[in-house]
Amino acid sequence: MKNIIYSVLLLFIFFSINLNAFDAESIAKDLNLSAGSKAIVQWKRVFKSERKMKRYKIYTLSSEVKKSLEEYLINHAIDSDKPTVAGRF
Amino acid sequence: MYKYIALFFLTTLLNATDSRDLVIDKLLKEVQLLKKSVSELKQNQIIVQNKQREDEQYVDELYDFAENTETRTLEDKLKFGVTFKTSIDNFSKKYADGYEVKSNNMWSNKLMLNMTADVTTDMKIYTRFSMFKYWGNGVKYPYSSYDNMQGRVPSDSSIYVERAYLDWLFNKKSYIPMAITVGRQPSADGPSHQFKDNTSRKATYSALLYDGAADGIVFTFDISKVISNHDSFFRLGYAKGFGYSESSTNVGNAYIGASNNDLKDTNVYGLFFDTTIPSIKHSLVQFSYSKIDDIVANHLDTNTTQNKNIGSLDMYGLMFEISNLKNSNIDLFLHYGYISSNSNSNDYMNYGGLLNAPNDSSSKSGDAIWLGTRYGFGEKQKYKIGIEYNHGSKNWVSLTQGSFDVYNKLSTRGDAYEAYFMYEINRFANLRLGYIRIDYDYSKSGWFIGESQKIDSALNTKNELKELQSIYFKMSVNY
Repeated sequence: MKNIIYSVLLLFIFFSINLNAFDAESIAKDLNLSAGSKAIVQWKRVFKSERKMKRYKIYTLSSEVKKSLEEYLINHAIDSDKPTVAGRF
Repeated sequence: MYKYIALFFLTTLLNATDSRDLVIDKLLKEVQLLKKSVSELKQNQIIVQNKQREDEQYVDELYDFAENTETRTLEDKLKFGVTFKTSIDNFSKKYADGYEVKSNNMWSNKLMLNMTADVTTDMKIYTRFSMFKYWGNGVKYPYSSYDNMQGRVPSDSSIYVERAYLDWLFNKKSYIPMAITVGRQPSADGPSHQFKDNTSRKATYSALLYDGAADGIVFTFDISKVISNHDSFFRLGYAKGFGYSESSTNVGNAYIGASNNDLKDTNVYGLFFDTTIPSIKHSLVQFSYSKIDDIVANHLDTNTTQNKNIGSLDMYGLMFEISNLKNSNIDLFLHYGYISSNSNSNDYMNYGGLLNAPNDSSSKSGDAIWLGTRYGFGEKQKYKIGIEYNHGSKNWVSLTQGSFDVYNKLSTRGDAYEAYFMYEINRFANLRLGYIRIDYDYSKSGWFIGESQKIDSALNTKNELKELQSIYFKMSVNY
């Protein structure tokens, strides 16, 4: 059993050191976008409208980052599935 | 001479008359132009005023619309959500004496109605009503009325209140924001079941230690600023594992729940510390200690001459969990639990005492590990595969009687393996095909009462399950 525990812990460390990717949450923070300020359909509308994307300064982002940001904002929208934990809204 | 003078004045007069006419003409033209400009200005002003009036009307309409929407939103004091699950299980059970039973084509439905009320920005009430039953079977499972199993195990179509609690946040802007959570707690379907369920975290505590309904009060202290690490919480909890009541103590129409000399209430006290791994986003680390005091042998037995408090249990937990590790679409988790019993000399009938054989009051300890991973792939990670493994020692026991699945695999005294493939139909619905195998090394998995024995040498081996397998197919909608 110890071997299994060590293997999993090593896997944790390996991934924490080696994997790097842009973070949609940080991008949203930089752009002053709060995912919980809109519902899923409203965020979808933002990413379908060039005017709205310009307004929220999303337009300049690369398509890959934009896609990731959209996914993050939708996943954390006000009507998305939220964690249920005591003492945390 | 006079002639010349007269001629000079006449000429001058004539010249003056001509220049005056010219000035008058010029002035007239300018007046005309001014009139035209004024007229244009007036017209423009009318146009602007009309436009302004239209705009004002539009703003008024928008305001009315916004206010109507706001009114309707304010009127909606309750928000509803629903979770619906349908499962097909194909069980294969093998007993210690070699007897095999197959229970194929076992369909079940689980319905959970979630309701929240945003009383204020600092106060919320959460409720979950649950119904869980096998198809075509209206028989009430005797243990379904166990307090922590209500709505958690397949029974008849009764709806139970699985959760009903108030979250009250205060000192929000202080160095240590605090919250009180009181009522029927979010203590079932906890981490890390959410990966298999394709949802977000659905309860506070590690599911290896706690999985089931529970009434209690929890004080949460947000210590993120104190230790300079986000999402760090310290919790103190108190819950009633069993509250005694009997019909002879009724007042009016109600029983009085009261501890008596024969049977004390089971009280559960807990300390929990949640934090994150600083370098890894979406991570969760949890340390916990719980004391389960005055454990009652059988919650349903009202005969206090045979039903006794059989001792107490200390329970320690440690868990690590990472979701979408560095955007790799890999989720990982590892849980560890350790228990130590303090048995008294009470036995329940001929079953024995707390983790002990009759007439044995020795202290026992046990531990368990649960780990797993899930990987998402394909467009928008619509496809997911996951594997889980857990192992429990001879005396392992915890509070998972109202477990996430019907197998209560995390109570296993032995090894349990599970693998699944999931397809996300849309953001709310998914299909899951899985296989689970449980090899029981010791008897009485999940039992607080009685001595656990090696399966092959257990008394009455006919009733001891040695191996359980199931191929299952589940559909889940969480909206």
